[in-house]
Amino acid sequence: MLMQIEALLEHIEFLLIAGIVLVLAILALEHKDLVYAVFFFGIMASFVAGFFLLLEAPFVAGMQIAVYTGGISVLIIFGVLLLPIFHDTTRERFETIRKKRLGIVLSIFVIILSGSLVFLFTWPTEIPAVNVDLAQSLEGLAQWLWGNHGIYVQFIAIIILTSLIGSLAILKLEKAEHLNPESGVYGLATWDDDTSEKAKAGNKSEDTVPVIMAQDAEEEGT
Amino acid sequence: MIPLSWYLALAFMLIGLGAYGMMVKRNLIRIIISAEIMGNGVMIALVAFSLYLDTFTFTGQGLVILIISVAAAHTALAMVLMLMYHRRYQTIDLGVPVVQEEISDE
Amino acid sequence: MRLFLDFIPVLVWAILAVVLVIVMLLASWVLRPHVLQNSEKTSTYECGEEPIGPARVSYPYNYIVYSILFLVVDVMGAFLWLFSVSALRLDKMVVWQVLFFALFIMAGIMFAVKILPQTFLSGEETLKLYREAKTKHETKEVHH
Repeated sequence: MLMQIEALLEHIEFLLIAGIVLVLAILALEHKDLVYAVFFFGIMASFVAGFFLLLEAPFVAGMQIAVYTGGISVLIIFGVLLLPIFHDTTRERFETIRKKRLGIVLSIFVIILSGSLVFLFTWPTEIPAVNVDLAQSLEGLAQWLWGNHGIYVQFIAIIILTSLIGSLAILKLEKAEHLNPESGVYGLATWDDDTSEKAKAGNKSEDTVPVIMAQDAEEEGT
Repeated sequence: MIPLSWYLALAFMLIGLGAYGMMVKRNLIRIIISAEIMGNGVMIALVAFSLYLDTFTFTGQGLVILIISVAAAHTALAMVLMLMYHRRYQTIDLGVPVVQEEISDE
Repeated sequence: MRLFLDFIPVLVWAILAVVLVIVMLLASWVLRPHVLQNSEKTSTYECGEEPIGPARVSYPYNYIVYSILFLVVDVMGAFLWLFSVSALRLDKMVVWQVLFFALFIMAGIMFAVKILPQTFLSGEETLKLYREAKTKHETKEVHH
């Protein structure tokens, strides 16, 4: 009786979280406003932690919430806030509708190809081994990570520091372009008439955007 | 008891959604988000495998921990590169053709 | 006894929070008076002043470094959490590894903080650039 209630609860929880996660993932990809989309991604990442709890991995669930919800989604929200408002309503369009259809067909092909993996082979339906309790699980994971594979953690440290210092180096290059602008394009262009004319002649000022939008509109019309 | 194939189906659905976003969307931030969604699907599959296979080991969970750390690193770098792309080309839309500016002789 | 049974209250709470917000928004939408909405009515209230432009402005790029620094410390904290809850904290070999790991990341953060001033324009530099551009503009106007 107790086992039946447990199994029922497990099924209900799985279906509930799966539905929420899929809806939130679709919203994160399709919502028109980028800020909302990133928020939906953050909520999706914290619901994915529910699967890790279902799969007896409490530490992974905690790390998912700490790093994905607390770190990565905040980083992406911050990145969106650093952009001018013009860019966060999405203007993404394909050159032709045919290419977009090709993308959709290819991704459905990916889903079908991987879904056939699920249904062609026979996968285990029961958890074979054990009921791992919280303390044992953390202990074993710590033994795996720090005891047996401690060198991986040092590699992770190197990778993270590489990304940190690499991003600082990129920002430093950007400052150098500010200080010594190549032909004035990266300087304070508002005061410099030459550069704004030059930029208009080229393809990189505010004026280009309406032109391209007009092109898009033409293509959609035809 | 939930069969393993349910978890795998969910993971493949998330990977397919991420692939859809990668192929169809042209906004750089949305491409980063779809990469993260694909990563989440892979993580669910790895943890499910580590629990359901015959001898229980912590390899799946440990790999997922490493994946999360590397995801943090690559997202940080990707966001800075996105900002620099915006700084240079005034757009984060990959559908907009950008023209490489000529380097002047002076 | 499976692990997830302990966390079902969390799930119920999370769903309750989402449902509560939606219900409250819907209730206020139902209960509010539906009067004519025009641009004057829906505009932001700024103490009687007329608002100019959207409320969201873009901030300088260099602030992203601070969130990256937070991310680095976040990941390090997760690894140290796993270390500190296990019995390995009594193992001398592992303690040396952890010490090296933490000191390595701390050294990286120190280096990052040290070269941080080189990555964005300080106030004086911005002022200098502004003045240069302004004098250039003014001399050009004089020539014209």
